[in-house]
Amino acid sequence: MAQEDKNTIEVRGFLHLYQAFKAKNWPVPLILPLSEAITGAQLAAQLEIPLDEIEVVFVNGFVQSLDYPIQPGDRVAFVPPGCPGPYRLALGFYAKHQEK
Amino acid sequence: MNKFIRVNMTTREVAMQETPEKYAGLAGRALTSTFVYDEVKPTCHALGKNNKLIFAPGFLSGTTAAQSGRISVGAKSPLTGTIKESNSGGSFSQKMAKMGIKALVIEGMPADDKFYIVKIDMNGVVLDEAPAEILNGCGNHEAIKVLSAKYGDSVGIALAGPAGEYRLPTANISFKDPEGHIRSAGRGGLGAVLGSKKVKAIILDDTGAPLSVPIAKPEAFQAAAKAFAKALVTHPVTGKALSAYGTDVLINILNEAGGLPAKNFTAGRIEWNDNISGETMNATITERGGEGKVSHGCHTGCIIRCSQWYPDKNGKYITSGFEYETVWALGADAGIKDLDDIAYLDRAMDDVGVDSIDVSVAIATAMAGGLLPFGDGKAALEAVKQIAVPTPMGRILGGGTAIVGKLCGLFRTAVVKDQAIPAYDPRAVKGVGLTYATTPMGADHTAGYAVATNILKVGGYVDPLKKDGQVELSRNLQIATAAVDSTGMCLFIAFAILDIPEGFNALVDMINARYDLALTADDVTALGKSVLKTERAFNAAAGFTNAHDRLPEFFEYEPCPPHNVVWDFTPEEIDEVFNF
Repeated sequence: MAQEDKNTIEVRGFLHLYQAFKAKNWPVPLILPLSEAITGAQLAAQLEIPLDEIEVVFVNGFVQSLDYPIQPGDRVAFVPPGCPGPYRLALGFYAKHQEK
Repeated sequence: MNKFIRVNMTTREVAMQETPEKYAGLAGRALTSTFVYDEVKPTCHALGKNNKLIFAPGFLSGTTAAQSGRISVGAKSPLTGTIKESNSGGSFSQKMAKMGIKALVIEGMPADDKFYIVKIDMNGVVLDEAPAEILNGCGNHEAIKVLSAKYGDSVGIALAGPAGEYRLPTANISFKDPEGHIRSAGRGGLGAVLGSKKVKAIILDDTGAPLSVPIAKPEAFQAAAKAFAKALVTHPVTGKALSAYGTDVLINILNEAGGLPAKNFTAGRIEWNDNISGETMNATITERGGEGKVSHGCHTGCIIRCSQWYPDKNGKYITSGFEYETVWALGADAGIKDLDDIAYLDRAMDDVGVDSIDVSVAIATAMAGGLLPFGDGKAALEAVKQIAVPTPMGRILGGGTAIVGKLCGLFRTAVVKDQAIPAYDPRAVKGVGLTYATTPMGADHTAGYAVATNILKVGGYVDPLKKDGQVELSRNLQIATAAVDSTGMCLFIAFAILDIPEGFNALVDMINARYDLALTADDVTALGKSVLKTERAFNAAAGFTNAHDRLPEFFEYEPCPPHNVVWDFTPEEIDEVFNF
């Protein structure tokens, strides 16, 4: 889904990170410049999100762990611990969580 | 807890017996489904005299255990034609258990057209004629006020709303919660079964009942209950996220995953998710204040508190228990972008007494079929209110998604066994799709809701878009759910016992301490398997075959964007779910 002609990424935060983004007056989604791939953990550090406040990161609609490389043009969403239901299993949260 | 009460509405006779030995070791869903299998003719008409409706608290109902306030209701479903267990919060389960009632059965059917109130107290059971003012279209909110004034503010109430009186297939059974608001045994039309037996309401007056049920080993129970509560409050889902955002927290997550069914199941993602998300619901309730509550428990002893009181712009209460599946169906599938419009619809569906999943998906289907304008919340509200009359439009919507789809000539009708598919697109979240297809209940997300640790052999290593591991996941989740549904526990305990093994062990320990048993985790698994096999056997005798365990065909050839995936399980693979 990464688009070669793009040099930005879309970033969202869910659960309490949604409120944290709002508190910083960031729009939904937050558009950030990105020219080279970075990992989810590096992006979190850039946004000053503590790693223990992130369970998984969505990249282009797929659940990924924090070492997954994010490319220019990607759509990204950080999800803190707290996703309920079997969806933790069905969407792969549990698997990614166990890999950490 | 050994009274087994039968109310025969044909003769209006009541029998209060000791619990038959066969049912002594069962509770909740295990008891309702076993009873229905034993006593209900599988081929009977669900609204005829041979169907029976059974209410049963769980193993732990009436104790001080957190989350133990769920009531199970069972019968043959007029919506699906299958066996049905539907459960609810409120105070009914705890009152039944404290009054020593193992089960309440409503059977038969009166010859006259009068509606009755079944009133149960510590002295016995009385049948009263229902007050005329709560019949013929009176909403549930008003009916609860009238019944509370007549029988006392503290009584428990189970109620058939207007939809139940009219025997519509989506009619639910509404339960009064501790604050006098409404909780629902929503799915499968059991309110129509109650209405068919001319029972408008059941009143439980526990005056004089013990404050708690007897506990065989009190100290062991207290220790286990403490460990159990600790697991719930320390887990990020049950201790933090659900109380802050409710189940509607899933809007953003499923939308991001591309698994949020939208525009009558033609897409998996919307652009207006921010209008209807749990995060927005939280911010709106907080900002409006007044009677609004971000967090609220649906029964005494609930510490997860995933419910909320959603207020209007002036801070006045509109609705509670404002669930993800309802918000999804109206907000994403029907395209109603205003959360207030959705809240008023939720209240209206509670008031007429219908399943807010099936009727909301029916609204989206009606919009696809041209019966209602797409995305028009005001028009949808007026249509739902017509169920109380009922106008032809009211009856059509109250008939549910399957009927609306047929009347509109649509092949894209999201049902399994005529029950609406909820808020998770099976093409993008394949494990849930297998559960929709195979659960004995018709499409039901909660049938595979429970999760447990490796104790229950539930693994988590699946890719939502691939088939690998999904059969085993769906099977094990369904087994675990059937077991949890028998405890009287809220299914949301599952979130904590997934990650905290001590929480699951504490659950088993509480049951053992309550009854002086020595159950193991394997026994719990065996119970879940037994429940599912019993339910499936009833369905087989009612004429259901593996061919009914299939998703609507359009999922196989209409790719779901953004991932553009289809449902690709073969019949043989689907049938493996129940190969145990």
